[in-house]
Amino acid sequence: MSRSARPLTSARVFHKIKELSTPQTSAAYVINRNPRNLERLRIAYKPGGYHLEKPGRSYWHTLEINTSGRYVSADVKHFENGTILSASTSEWAIKQQLYKTNDTSAFVNLGRVLAHRCLQSGITEMTCNVDAVPGSKLEKLLQTLQDNGVSFKEPARLANSQPWDAKRHEKPWEISEESLEPTAPPPKSVK
Amino acid sequence: MGGRKRKATPRVKTQRASAKHKPMSVEKEKENPTWIYSSLFPFQNSPSHRTKRVGQLELADHHSTLLQGHRHAGAILGAEETATDPEVAARINIGFPQLKESRSAQLKARLEHLKAQRSSKELEQLARTNKLIIDLDKVQRTYVKTTGQHDLRLLADHYGIFEHLFGSAYFVPRVPLSISYEVDGDSLAPVYNGNVIKPAEAAKAPQISFDGLLDPITGQAAGQDTYWTLLATNPDAHYTNATAECLHWFIANIPNGKVGDGQVLAEYLPPFPPRGVGYQRMVFVLYKQEARLDLGSYQLADADYNNLEKRTFSTLDFYRQHQEQLTPAGLAFYQTNWDESLTHLYHDVLKSKEPVYEYDFPKPYLADQKFFPLKQPFNLYMDKHRDQKQVNKEYLERKLAKTHPFEGPEQSLRFPNAHPIRDVPSWLKTEIRKQRLGTGRVQDY
Repeated sequence: MSRSARPLTSARVFHKIKELSTPQTSAAYVINRNPRNLERLRIAYKPGGYHLEKPGRSYWHTLEINTSGRYVSADVKHFENGTILSASTSEWAIKQQLYKTNDTSAFVNLGRVLAHRCLQSGITEMTCNVDAVPGSKLEKLLQTLQDNGVSFKEPARLANSQPWDAKRHEKPWEISEESLEPTAPPPKSVK
Repeated sequence: MGGRKRKATPRVKTQRASAKHKPMSVEKEKENPTWIYSSLFPFQNSPSHRTKRVGQLELADHHSTLLQGHRHAGAILGAEETATDPEVAARINIGFPQLKESRSAQLKARLEHLKAQRSSKELEQLARTNKLIIDLDKVQRTYVKTTGQHDLRLLADHYGIFEHLFGSAYFVPRVPLSISYEVDGDSLAPVYNGNVIKPAEAAKAPQISFDGLLDPITGQAAGQDTYWTLLATNPDAHYTNATAECLHWFIANIPNGKVGDGQVLAEYLPPFPPRGVGYQRMVFVLYKQEARLDLGSYQLADADYNNLEKRTFSTLDFYRQHQEQLTPAGLAFYQTNWDESLTHLYHDVLKSKEPVYEYDFPKPYLADQKFFPLKQPFNLYMDKHRDQKQVNKEYLERKLAKTHPFEGPEQSLRFPNAHPIRDVPSWLKTEIRKQRLGTGRVQDY
């Protein structure tokens, strides 16, 4: 137990960490393989980036908008998997109904199409580091996205509270939608 | 150094040779599954990597007199062994190709259309006054025929669908599937690609429609009878085997896209994500058959409707067995998590208790306990290293000692910090204050 009996080596630290992080295989445990599950439950790893970095890198999904002289495209990017959703006015599906591919109505309609695709794919929360001039086409695109059900606020990662911590967090998986109905009693706080 | 490196190469080569056996088929994984899945579960596989590496070092010890810097040598050998073979890791497209129409003809038609759009006075007026609202349904219809198929493939990769259903194979979904659950009333809950549908909405079998008369390769009418298979599986629902799926619905020999006329091999079982497990994926895969198939061996008896062991399924094994007759053509999936309607399903349909799970966070790292921990509060330090069950027991006993058997626990103080705590050591003062304020370990009891 004493320090002289067992010196702390990096091998021992590694051994302990590996032991702690090995998934349990007993029948009392199940594994949910859905790679997006932990992001929805706010447990998944999220990169921190550097605190002086601008724009930051701390996100699971982020919105990126690229404008060229003729077209505009909006992509949703994942921090690991890259572009996962995209819409562009250069797409034939969108272009065939537009008058011009980079005017205000093109920006607004692109926002509607992307919001529709986001809702279809279950990715409705993302960060947005786009700086738009107030009243610009770009701002209208961002506003249309938000009006159609996309949120530009991504929840923070849930810290795992230890027994010796002062506070306990509310666990997202313990709150069901039924318990949040105004008629139902308020959710029981974790005590 | 060079000698050791040479010793390491033959091992890797033998693995390659065994995996090379049948390069253009899904079969190849069967021969060397650990090689394929090693990157999936790094923690589970690391012990075996470790043993392998030690064995190689010993081998090197015997054959080489140069032995300086064990760790460095080990790192080199380990890196070589864990390197993925690009040929083995390469993904295979098992879906349909699609014939493209002539680009010049397409371009001609498109340019003509755009020219007409630009000369339309009404459209210009709408665009200039910001009143142009395009038809999203029309966008969607064109999108699934053009770039949407490839985007869906990327999104399915993001959701790990192909990885967990087909291993290293994938396909581009050529046939758009339209699936929707009827929610009571006349509202519909459609299945797209990853949207959330609650189990209460998915209680009854969904309506499914697709264009079964079209040939997925040419996009033209097939001209003959076509047969299709529809499979709904959940890769996250299996309780005992994490790599297996749960079969929810199996319809084979669907003639010309008429799902109602298909041969139902397994009746629809609603999703049952347990409480606390989070979001599970329900995946609908449509296969095109070469001809009528006899899949009677997959028939699930009516008595086994709720038998989850009998509903164990592996899409990869199924596809491997029938890959000559089946080609995946369509894909749709949704996510679902626990809601209160599932209590009824567990009790009345599955005839089992309702399980409740909680995410198992990794335990915190604690350095070995020291005999003389300097600058550590002794009580908190000791509590971290004591048997946690004993600590919990003490807290519970202390709480129960203050609980009246009929009148319940003591009334909490209205102004907890206003009552002085006298004649106790400072560490106990802190403990009492924490107990009064309800912070720290007292919250757990």
